[in-house]
Amino acid sequence: MSSAIESGSNQKRIRELKLLAAKIRRNVLDICMQRGGYAGQGVALADIAACLYFDELREDDNNWFHDRFVLSNGHDAIMCYGAFAEHGAYTMDALRTYNADGTVVDQSPIEGQLGFEITAGSLGQGPSQSAGIAYGERLKGSDKRVYCLFSDGELQEGNVWEAAMFAGHQKLSNLVYIIDNNDLGATGSTATTLSVEPVPEKFESFGFAARRINGNSIEEILAAFEEAKSIRDKPYVMICDTRLFVGIDCLQKTLPMAHYVAKAQADWQAGLAEIEATIEALSQ
Amino acid sequence: MSKQSDYLLASEARSINSAPFDGISHELCSRRKDVIMMSADLSKYTQLDSVKRDFPDQHLEVGMAEQNLLSVAAGVSKAGFVPVATTFACYATRRAYDQMLVCMGTSPLTNVVIGFTPGIANPARIHHQAAEDLGMVRAIPNATVIDPMDATEFGQALNAAVDLPGLVYMRGHRGNTPCLLNTGHYQFELGKTYQLRGGRGIGIIATGHATQWALEACDILEQENIDHSLLHVPTIKPVNEAEIADYCFAHEQVVTIENHQIVTGLGSLVAEIVSNIGRGPRITRLGVPNTWAPGGTLPYIREQLELDAIQLAKRIKEVSGE
Repeated sequence: MSSAIESGSNQKRIRELKLLAAKIRRNVLDICMQRGGYAGQGVALADIAACLYFDELREDDNNWFHDRFVLSNGHDAIMCYGAFAEHGAYTMDALRTYNADGTVVDQSPIEGQLGFEITAGSLGQGPSQSAGIAYGERLKGSDKRVYCLFSDGELQEGNVWEAAMFAGHQKLSNLVYIIDNNDLGATGSTATTLSVEPVPEKFESFGFAARRINGNSIEEILAAFEEAKSIRDKPYVMICDTRLFVGIDCLQKTLPMAHYVAKAQADWQAGLAEIEATIEALSQ
Repeated sequence: MSKQSDYLLASEARSINSAPFDGISHELCSRRKDVIMMSADLSKYTQLDSVKRDFPDQHLEVGMAEQNLLSVAAGVSKAGFVPVATTFACYATRRAYDQMLVCMGTSPLTNVVIGFTPGIANPARIHHQAAEDLGMVRAIPNATVIDPMDATEFGQALNAAVDLPGLVYMRGHRGNTPCLLNTGHYQFELGKTYQLRGGRGIGIIATGHATQWALEACDILEQENIDHSLLHVPTIKPVNEAEIADYCFAHEQVVTIENHQIVTGLGSLVAEIVSNIGRGPRITRLGVPNTWAPGGTLPYIREQLELDAIQLAKRIKEVSGE
């Protein structure tokens, strides 16, 4: 394949992922506008979700995923729901019951719910569970790769560093940590509450290969996933700098630090109009 | 003594196993290649040496980090293995309770945790002792909780545990451990209770290490012709309510003995079962009272807490009114 064709193919792939990310953003708003939710995180993580679910995770024979994704911070399930609507694992009708009494679409899922490997929500427990999965998969001789998403706020949990020490010691090169580095905890800026930086250097000292990227750049996310696969003797961590609501300017301006968005808190229609316009532009 | 007790207990020549878990874990790992014995820098003190030496792929060390021990174990189970996470009971429960409840308690996959030196069976007071572990794990929905009485039952219960769904918490034995049960006749079954002494006087219910203590007290009661019986309850959860209720309602007085706080453990469990029915016998709960147990040798700690054989027999006699 000539480099020009290769480059063209890559551009097409990136354009498709950008469109998917925009659709995920729209789905997140549609879901959260029903009864509120973690809309800012879902929107901000849409680019990572698009790259992960529609490019990086390999498919198996059952229209599911061969590789394994572990969500550690349960409230970021909204990111997965936005992507699952495009994937087909959940219908939008089902997803609109998010945050309703009695729903099976849990705001913070329990192990066994379709698409979720662990009970996520008691923060800091995904890194060690995914390390255990990666250890077991390697022991079996499987080629499955294991990905775990957690947040910068979780880095304040000691269990994360116990896991990092274990993964580094075991040289789990089939393990990739994806950190949503959005400088936001439950009450405000992580930097103010308890600084977690410098994140890459901390993980490097635990035996990881680390890269800080713009978590809303499809190109940088894909490049980091590629780099992770090229490293043979270390686990990999991608520190994804993001901010809430990246990709929907009107909501980012009004809700820059909204850990949770109540139904009445946001101008959902303005947000939807903006993202629909983005989808239309990307569909051209 | 009933026929059942003659049948279940070993003869007078009771053997001592100096490292029960070493043999139990080795036998299990040689038979089951999907079992991974895990430790948090205490394998030497839980006697896991032979597995480490002979089956290195079936031993996983996570370092001195119990929260990691249980959460990595939960991940190992999700890769298709059966993890057996071993550490002291105090760390398995108190230090890593959230990981036990969330990572293992909500999973349908087999996750076995063994808590060694439970209750007062550790010389270092408070921080190394665990007189509340049974109650903590009993409160987790659908968990299995087993407190074996000797080396024989420990091995049989672990063999059963690796085939059970979900979280299984077991108390372990280390160091010189008696083999009290008749290995030819005794077979552990989850939920089953075992009458080790038969009689119509006072009823004694015990579990785990405390069943050893109860048998010592029973020897004294027998010498003094005090009519009594002894029910051993190795499965704390799922508990066999019917067998415990039948036993209690066949007695006017019941004494429970446990290597645990007298709240939330066996005594509380028996009282809950009896009170659910109503008009049952009085339940006297013996174990660790509302105090910090002292440190030191086990005989010393038992004596201080009036749990040594002589004081236990005296307290049981007082309850019986004889």
